[in-house]
Amino acid sequence: MLSIKDLQVSVEGKPILKGLNLEVKPGEIHAIMGPNGSGKSTLAHVLSGREGYSVDAGTAAYKNLDLLDMAPEIRAREGMFLAFQYPIEIPGVNNTSFLKKALNEIRKHRGDEELDAIDFLSLIKKQMKLVEMKEDLLKRPVNQGFSGGEKKRNEILQMAVLNPTLAILDETDSGLDIDALRIVAGGVNKLRSEDNAFVVITHYQRLLDYIVPDFVHVLSDGKIIKSGTKDLALELEERGYDWLLEKAESPS
Amino acid sequence: MAENTKQLANWIQDQLQADHDQNFALSAQTRAASLKILDAGVFPTRKDEEWRYTPLNTLLDQNIGAAKSDVPNADSIQTFKNAVPEAHHLVFINGKFSESLSDDLDSVKESGYTVKLMSQLTSDEQLQAEGTIRDAKLSDDNIFQHLALGLSQFGLFLDVANHTEVKTPLHLLNVATHEASTSLTNPVNVIHVGVNSRLKVIEQFVSLSDAQAVTIPASFMALEEGSGLEHFKIGLESDSTDHVSNTSVQVGANAHFTSHQYLLGSRLTRSNMEVGFAGPGASTTLRGIYLGDGTQHLDVRTYLDHAHPHCNSDQHFRGILNDHSRGVFNGLVLVREHAQKTDAKQSNKNLLLSRDARVDTKPQLEIFADDVKCAHGATVGELDEDALFYLQSRGISKEDAGLMLTRAFAAEITEDIGIEPVQEYVEANISSRLNELSLANV
Repeated sequence: MLSIKDLQVSVEGKPILKGLNLEVKPGEIHAIMGPNGSGKSTLAHVLSGREGYSVDAGTAAYKNLDLLDMAPEIRAREGMFLAFQYPIEIPGVNNTSFLKKALNEIRKHRGDEELDAIDFLSLIKKQMKLVEMKEDLLKRPVNQGFSGGEKKRNEILQMAVLNPTLAILDETDSGLDIDALRIVAGGVNKLRSEDNAFVVITHYQRLLDYIVPDFVHVLSDGKIIKSGTKDLALELEERGYDWLLEKAESPS
Repeated sequence: MAENTKQLANWIQDQLQADHDQNFALSAQTRAASLKILDAGVFPTRKDEEWRYTPLNTLLDQNIGAAKSDVPNADSIQTFKNAVPEAHHLVFINGKFSESLSDDLDSVKESGYTVKLMSQLTSDEQLQAEGTIRDAKLSDDNIFQHLALGLSQFGLFLDVANHTEVKTPLHLLNVATHEASTSLTNPVNVIHVGVNSRLKVIEQFVSLSDAQAVTIPASFMALEEGSGLEHFKIGLESDSTDHVSNTSVQVGANAHFTSHQYLLGSRLTRSNMEVGFAGPGASTTLRGIYLGDGTQHLDVRTYLDHAHPHCNSDQHFRGILNDHSRGVFNGLVLVREHAQKTDAKQSNKNLLLSRDARVDTKPQLEIFADDVKCAHGATVGELDEDALFYLQSRGISKEDAGLMLTRAFAAEITEDIGIEPVQEYVEANISSRLNELSLANV
């Protein structure tokens, strides 16, 4: 589904990703962990098509398409979804009509019929239960006046409505209390299937108690320095990152 | 060039010569001072601070001819009437009242509510209207205001008696039609709202086909104690129309004046609004959007005179400028020495959608009292890149995302309109204007 090979990315001339490799297959959940500044968020941004990142080498194929050559909206229409670390507030744009427009753009792209207001409303109400979101948040502008937890839940709601094949969760757990964490993770678990995949970027092991990954990768200084199963996350929780970083540095 | 046409200054001279056999809106006595200023014929230039950003050459060089005022058929203006379905409609063609296209004047007026053409006032009513003009007028050196005061034959007088709530809004539809030469319209409108009374007026300016027109209206409004007036102006004129309007308002103690201006059309618009407070507890809410494309030039000036204590003013104007269009916001809030406990807010935000668009914004506060709350601010910016990306990341194209954000920028003003069909109409017109824009630089 997603195949990243030797990805090298810089920001304003400063290398951030320095040869990253990652293979994600349908049905899998991959966790990417790593210390601050290791390039986790850069990876999420590059994959979703944000401006300001220069791809210097390497490839990223998504469903056999050249991902890095696609406009952000095309990536989304092809089934990619990024849950933002810091979902922004958009005053004046209604949460519901925004999401309806987004879903219908994706459906149009797939050749599906657009949903009318009634069908859309019944879909969104169903998915709101998944994230235990209050209905009045639908009437508000996108994320405006939402608490930190509500913003993250709104991201998961959008994910549930848009039903992506590949979802990237960029530090979705940051700033969440334990209840919100449980709700957000519950949403992800209900959405996972044999046909879709998740890349969960996180600094802490905590989220992985709720979203159990098939693979855990440690990103450091722009490269994946170790991959393993969920046990690796537990080991990181116990020992921190330092022992891995020392190991990675010692050969040179 | 059509024959018998004159540039504006010459046209004025002709009118001054031919003066005697016309039926003017105001009395000879009231007109005399205006005619003197018109005779001197000094128009502002960009050397005048108030006109620094707005050149008048094109307007002054127009060749003005007499409008024949053929009445268009009712179908062609129905869509404009639909803007305010639950209203009384009065239609003016090139300034002249059209009986056939309007609601029956007798059906509009009700007990305590006078609706009359300026040309049909009794001498008592004329005295009253001229009193309102004197009360409302804050400055005396505005030649465009004098052009209406001195030479207007058209206009409307609205008078609401004390303790009267007029429930049905009044819709004034000003239509410019295509003429052989540029037509000039300079109506004088006078609105007087009595003690504790209420009135809503929606003024709309539109063009049929590619009408060339110069519209120079002067409006005077006086609100007595405890009264309320909501005034809406919707400008949808063609891009061969120049529009210079002056509105002077006096707000009495504990009265509230609301103004919404949506300037979406014309080649040049200069909208000047002056609001003075005549007693403590008076307040005003001013809202507006100017939306420019092509080479449109849209200039909003406001002047607020806080002359009494405990008065509030709240201004919020937004500009959306595309292509080579130009916007100007020039707002002055004057808080006089004894106007303690004044609360004055003034905000102007501008969205530039192209590199060649430009806005000059000048929010000004002059405060002579020491116990007041005043805030003002202006911003000029582009569409928020983070918001664009967020929408794109959900599958919405960059252009659609730009439109959504621009509509949202406008919606923060229009959501305060308070009359649902008017809000829908204005938002629909903003949307269709935005859809026409080529957002090449988004």
